[in-house]
Amino acid sequence: MSANKKLWGGLALLLLASFTVLLWVGGEIHRVMPPIPAAVVTNEGATVYTRADIEKGRQVWQSIGGQQLGSIWGHGSYVAPDWTADWLHREALAWLDIEARRATSKDYAQLAPDVQAGFVARLQPQIRENTYNPETDTVVIPTDRAAAIKQVAEHYTSLFGNDPKLLELRKAYAMKNDTVLDADHRHVLTAFIWWTSWSAVTVRPGQDVTYTNNWPHDELVGNQPPGQLLLWTVFSVLFLIAGIALLGWHHARHREEEPVTFPATDPLASIAVTPSMRATAKYFWLVIALFLTQILLGAITAHYQVEGQEAYGFALSNYLPYSLSRTWHTQLAVLWIATAWLGMGLYIGPAISGHEPKYQRFGVNFLFACLLIIVVGAFTGQWLAVMQKLGLAKNFWFGHQGWEYVDLGRFWQIFLFVGLCLWLTLVGRALLPAIRKGGESKSIIVLLFLSTVCIGLFYAAGLMWGEHTHLSMVEYWRWWVVHLWVEGFFEVFATAVIAFLFTRLGLLRVSTATVAVLFATIVFLSGGVLGTLHHLYFTGTPTAVIALGASFSALEVVPLAFVGFEAYQTFKLGSATPWMQRYRWPILFFTAVAFWNVVGAGLFGFLINPPLPLYYMQGLNLTPLHGHTALFGVYGFLGIGLMLFCLRGLKPNLVWNEKLLRTAFWSLNIGLAGMALFTLLPIGVIQLSAAIEHGYWYARSADLMQQPIIQLLVWMRVPGDTLFSVGALSLALFVVRLWIAPKRERAPELAGDVAKSRA
Amino acid sequence: MAEFYLQIKWVHVAAVIASGVLFFLRGGAQLLGARWTMAAPLRYLSYTVDTVLLTAALMLATILHQMPFANGWLTAKVLLLVVYIVLGSFALKRAKNRRQQAFCWIGALLVYGFIVSIARTHNPLGLFAML
Repeated sequence: MSANKKLWGGLALLLLASFTVLLWVGGEIHRVMPPIPAAVVTNEGATVYTRADIEKGRQVWQSIGGQQLGSIWGHGSYVAPDWTADWLHREALAWLDIEARRATSKDYAQLAPDVQAGFVARLQPQIRENTYNPETDTVVIPTDRAAAIKQVAEHYTSLFGNDPKLLELRKAYAMKNDTVLDADHRHVLTAFIWWTSWSAVTVRPGQDVTYTNNWPHDELVGNQPPGQLLLWTVFSVLFLIAGIALLGWHHARHREEEPVTFPATDPLASIAVTPSMRATAKYFWLVIALFLTQILLGAITAHYQVEGQEAYGFALSNYLPYSLSRTWHTQLAVLWIATAWLGMGLYIGPAISGHEPKYQRFGVNFLFACLLIIVVGAFTGQWLAVMQKLGLAKNFWFGHQGWEYVDLGRFWQIFLFVGLCLWLTLVGRALLPAIRKGGESKSIIVLLFLSTVCIGLFYAAGLMWGEHTHLSMVEYWRWWVVHLWVEGFFEVFATAVIAFLFTRLGLLRVSTATVAVLFATIVFLSGGVLGTLHHLYFTGTPTAVIALGASFSALEVVPLAFVGFEAYQTFKLGSATPWMQRYRWPILFFTAVAFWNVVGAGLFGFLINPPLPLYYMQGLNLTPLHGHTALFGVYGFLGIGLMLFCLRGLKPNLVWNEKLLRTAFWSLNIGLAGMALFTLLPIGVIQLSAAIEHGYWYARSADLMQQPIIQLLVWMRVPGDTLFSVGALSLALFVVRLWIAPKRERAPELAGDVAKSRA
Repeated sequence: MAEFYLQIKWVHVAAVIASGVLFFLRGGAQLLGARWTMAAPLRYLSYTVDTVLLTAALMLATILHQMPFANGWLTAKVLLLVVYIVLGSFALKRAKNRRQQAFCWIGALLVYGFIVSIARTHNPLGLFAML
């Protein structure tokens, strides 16, 4: 059996095994997820909340942006608190105050530490006890706890309303006034938040950990990291070291091949640009427009951290509140990167096969129109939702689903999925002749196509939940989309597409590239698929999730430890032939992809992924540290690199403005590093220290986040962000100049002639 | 943040002085025929100083709740800043001859001085308000 066949067989087996386990875990989560009781009643029989309240409360939470305003179970955004942790701590303090006043006529805070300890000792067993009765489907709570819940609920209804007393707190949380307009909606919202905190503090039947594995850390209620978090963290580090050793061994025994004889002229220079390939130009204009808009929205989102409701005196939250600017910022990140990839796929399909299918140009234009409709339609729906103009009945379908990265209303999600299928069809039909032709290239073309198929089809996981699906299951499917995209199929696509382009340029042997890509795919997906579970340690899942998630997500980092080889190889190929100068900038952006893969995905990813660190770090600024450096650093730069590669083909005879590209490249890289090192990392470390010392609620509280040092660090983003914006504007100007007043190459400078004359 | 007001103000003032001195030296040297005025390290130093200046200015505006286009003196400063940048760019780079260069350099320095006087008086008329 050839090495190729063995690797294909291995990949098929790996995928089968990994997805079988992942689906099994999904079944287990469904079996043990925290119950939503039909009613929460006091031991005197009074109803506190009903299931209808909790479910409707979640709809209200989703309609205001859900995870884009604060977080639940640690998943979401970072300016407003984690509502689960905040409620839990407030409820505990309210209970302690009630009990302390009754017994001593003093507030809890006024008591001596030893007296306080006595009250805490009474609180913990009571608040942690699981009083859910499956037969009656009710949770029974003591009257005192109901009184404490009432106090916290009053705070929340004031906070989400327009109470002037809480204006400063709303500003600290970047919440607009009247975040929830309707009083009844504010009431049911408290039911949902309470339920998430109940899940976080209530022990599972027959176990000594809570439904969320004792997350969030809060010693007042007895939430401390269970021992297995440390155990699996240690094992994950061991797996990482073992994985690196094995892969190192593999690389060491990999024999050096005879060097390739590079072509004298650019093989891609002879490719005829078909009408459909030419039609992809607009995709790249859209990429630039969306990228610039995303940066502007990012600046607004960051500024809300210092002015809460305004932007330099302008009451911005009345028109574009934080949860909306953040929603669009995160959505556009995915959308512009995806648009770059879509454009690249549509460009490269006919380029590979030399075949222009019938109506292909129409398809490319039609898909573009669909993309525009989706962006405008979905964003309008989200604006109407967050401004509370849409109503709950329509919100799920046309408004804001509230799930970070898959926030689109269901109608728009389906539309996007259809669009992705249309893209696959267009790319597939263009590639088909090349695949049918067989030959050496077949494997790598098939792999490239399969990764695009997976990117398209796996978005369907985002359609697996309904309006009332349990939160634990929504999180499970949501991470299928987000994680399997970014840490699975995007990685495969990135590896395959770069290797493939090099084979087309004649710089790599097809056989070598195919084996290397297949091997890399197996390595990436061996950790990537089950690594999904590291997002689910604390979302009401069974403890097996911790063991599997920790072990496999450590393996995700293994290939990143060797990315240096790939970066060096890529960089070296950039100067392999004189005509490669034409591809200098795409190559440099691909090299940046490798750098940020190590730093953003590898270092900053592994910083937060093992169970024990994540117990404290989830939802702190260390998360966007990983998010920005990995999402933009890897896939953003890849999108730009691919765009530049296609633009070279679309505009073959133009002189590229080196100055603009140099400014773009270095400004984007240094700006990203500045944001990471001067703001996100130091704030994250301060929060981490607070989470360990005082509890997670404090690390996310206004008390900490409004401290002068934190505010100062937020401002330290400005130099890096300014530089980053300069880079993006330079890139935009570069693209514009390819169409407006371009500078044409003089005939002798055409690629082939250059090579000949130098030879 | 208000706790750091004085420090931020001094960073802003220091950056203003550094920016002005750097421009004065580069423009003056250029008029005397020096070739190092557009050297990469100097350009990057200038960008760095200006970015620090801008960051500190935004921080001060937020702390004081005094915003351009709401407060007259800040509006005047921002508008004159644009004039200063355009004149400065001509003085160092875009001017076609030495005469134009000198004119733009002196003009930029006068605008710079006037901006400083606006900052000192908190009045859009700057030093003319003292007359």
